[in-house]
Amino acid sequence: MAAPGVLESDFSSAVTLLKNLQEQVMAVTAHVQALTKRVQAGAYPTEKGLSFLEVKDQLLLMYLMDLSHLILNKASGGSLQGHAAVLRLVEIRTVLEKLRPLDQKLKYQIDKLVKTAVTGSLSENDPLRFKPHPSNMMSKLSSDEEEEGEAEDGQSEASGKKSTKSKKYVPPRLVPVHYDETEAEREKKRLERAKRRALSSSVIRELKEQYSDAPEEIRDARHPHVTRQSQEDQHRINYEESMMVRLSVSKREKGRRKRAHVMSSQLHSLTHFSDISALTGGAAHLDEDQNPIKKRKKILKKGRKKKGFRRRR
Amino acid sequence: MVTDVLHPGKSTVPKTEIREKQAKMYKTTPDVIFVFLFRTHFGGGKTTGFGMIYDSLDYEKKNEHTHRLARHGLYEKKKMSRKEQKECKNRMKKVRGTAKASAGAGKK
Repeated sequence: MAAPGVLESDFSSAVTLLKNLQEQVMAVTAHVQALTKRVQAGAYPTEKGLSFLEVKDQLLLMYLMDLSHLILNKASGGSLQGHAAVLRLVEIRTVLEKLRPLDQKLKYQIDKLVKTAVTGSLSENDPLRFKPHPSNMMSKLSSDEEEEGEAEDGQSEASGKKSTKSKKYVPPRLVPVHYDETEAEREKKRLERAKRRALSSSVIRELKEQYSDAPEEIRDARHPHVTRQSQEDQHRINYEESMMVRLSVSKREKGRRKRAHVMSSQLHSLTHFSDISALTGGAAHLDEDQNPIKKRKKILKKGRKKKGFRRRR
Repeated sequence: MVTDVLHPGKSTVPKTEIREKQAKMYKTTPDVIFVFLFRTHFGGGKTTGFGMIYDSLDYEKKNEHTHRLARHGLYEKKKMSRKEQKECKNRMKKVRGTAKASAGAGKK
């Protein structure tokens, strides 16, 4: 038992709390009795409503019943240890939590329905009506152009339509903007890009996976160049099969394909890590094997005669 | 249609064999079936190509490409010698417009 000093200070607060409790309990009982009478009288018919909401209603009612049973038990001095109602409560709570994302998804629809029920019917020009209106998807620009054509040229509507159809495409005249980028800005942009690249490198990704709480995802992740090339290959195959033709592969394409194939077949990513110096602040080090120095192609000057057999690039 | 041929261990299947097989599959004669543009995948074992089956020989003769008909022996391309071709061309150079057609090949 607690010391008598503590007991006395608690006494007054306990009395006020108990009085509040009594008042609230009386209010709640009155409310619940009124509701029960109305439900029994059939003021809330739910046959034609959303069954999802009905399920939620029933679950919440069961939750309340179990909860009140437990409160009664506790108030009369019993313990909650291993009570069957506790398990039921936990189960109902889990189900309600799982229903919550469904609730989110239905929220828009339910709000619309409630609004319709409250205000009557929606107006004619309401852009958010339930059914799609393909007539609304027609381009409004063509009608504007027609009107302009009529006003300016005084042509009939039919010829106005024809003129809009056969009008030559005039590119928009853009106002030239002054190019103001300084060396410092360019440096900053380069740094930004290097940072972004470093953030998506394998080292940083593995660190993120280590410290995040999300479950570990195992994916068939391939090198980005390989996926790009395989996508292009797939596109080419689709085109060839649908048009019943064979497309020729240029030398560049062949080189790209070979490089992508080589990259996927080697254990390249095991020993070569991308450069994260943008994040760590150190000096950028370029792995020789990773980035072979591209030879600059000789730009032939005009009128320069090349003797002998000219190699095709 | 797109035809996939699986031939593990063997070299690329000749087109005549493929036509026979397709005739059996689609219950027609092999002369109305045309297969072309077969490419074997890397490593062998699989070849992909295109095929066409016509309803009758008449449609086939009207609609098919002449080089494919030539492969079946239903079309003969006239072979002009190189000299003749050049003479034709030079005759055509002297005339303008639709007269080229009559000038070139006509004088042969």
